[in-house]
Amino acid sequence: MTGPWVRDRHEVVQVAGREPSRIRGDTGTGEMPRLHLVGPDSYADWEAIYRDNVERVYRLMFRRVGNRSDAEDLTTEVFLAALGPLRTSASVGEVRAYLLTTARSVLAGHWRRTFGQQITTIDGDRFEDVLSEAPVNDAAAVRADRILAALPDRYRRILQLRFLEACTVKEAAEEMGITVGNAKVLQHRALREAAAVNERLAP
Amino acid sequence: MNTRRLRRYVEDLLRGRRPRPFPADERQAAEVRAAIALRAARPGGGAPREDFVAALHRRLATEFGTAAPSPATRPPTRRRVVQVASVAAAAAAVGGAGGAALDHALTGTGAGTDAGTGPGVTLRPNSGTWHTVAASADLAEGTVLAFDAGTLNGFVERTGGRLSAVSGVCTHLGCRLRLNATATELACPCHNAAFALGGELLRHQLPTVPAPLPHLAVREVDGAVQVFLP
Repeated sequence: MTGPWVRDRHEVVQVAGREPSRIRGDTGTGEMPRLHLVGPDSYADWEAIYRDNVERVYRLMFRRVGNRSDAEDLTTEVFLAALGPLRTSASVGEVRAYLLTTARSVLAGHWRRTFGQQITTIDGDRFEDVLSEAPVNDAAAVRADRILAALPDRYRRILQLRFLEACTVKEAAEEMGITVGNAKVLQHRALREAAAVNERLAP
Repeated sequence: MNTRRLRRYVEDLLRGRRPRPFPADERQAAEVRAAIALRAARPGGGAPREDFVAALHRRLATEFGTAAPSPATRPPTRRRVVQVASVAAAAAAVGGAGGAALDHALTGTGAGTDAGTGPGVTLRPNSGTWHTVAASADLAEGTVLAFDAGTLNGFVERTGGRLSAVSGVCTHLGCRLRLNATATELACPCHNAAFALGGELLRHQLPTVPAPLPHLAVREVDGAVQVFLP
């Protein structure tokens, strides 16, 4: 690999962040940069960081915005913001911790810009807990199951059909043997109830 | 009325469109949250598109890397695709403070233009060069491409067989504009101003009318789309 990465590898770690105290190994004294030997647990270059983490970051965002366009924009924003300061020999753990910190503030900025309030957040300081959501959207499925399980049958069914099985209102209405108008009303009421359940569940 | 906007937000989520935010009260925010939680659990929904991963890789390569973007990873152009064009290395190297200063300079209202309406001035830097911002093949009729050349970022469009390029910086306070989902307008994330791809102001909610976007000189040479940049 070529480029500034190699040149930097035996020099200094400069993990610059808005919240440096969150970065593992930071002494909190503000004495960065520090000397840091490259271990086996570091990335070769920015591309390795990207390849290893792009899906994790995307899934993290998708789960919190629920749509591809926003998830793609926010993923882009995270890597554009994070890779500059991370052009170092930071360890895998440090890189992921920094990506997580960046993702948290990018998501907060997104909701501030759009709704003026935090609709969803990235909780948890350990990237292992948060970024390991990657391989499958298990965490999202578990959450949805918990919400649905607390609802009356018809509410659960309409939400399942529309949100999880991607049915149109018409298809969902046919499936349930009701009119399209009734299906819409049912969905509105069901979502309102689901929101109440969701708010009661721990984050 | 916001109930209708909540319904539309949910419907957009369900149909996989980019949802539009609205002034939500606490109860509506909770419904948005629940809708996101349920939608995110749809099987197969959480994986990124290969096209997206490849396009972001190319964009990062122009910002951080030295390697040329691999043509093999170029995604097919299906509709009005937004791609971040790879920029000549020389252009990227200019970057930094100069870019920030120029972005700032562009935010002043263009001399001799009517604020808001009408076409913007054409930016002609005192000492500029032609920079390739896209391959002609990537800019099919009806396509818009974003480019970032370090000193300047903007959008090139081919429509009606003609090329045009505008600055990608809002003339209000200098926020970077985004192409909307249907690739029809450039939206400012800061104060909801929006510009047409030709640079004209479409709408705003500001006390003073922002100037239209400056145009950039653009040409096509040997299969390359080039913009005249400092």
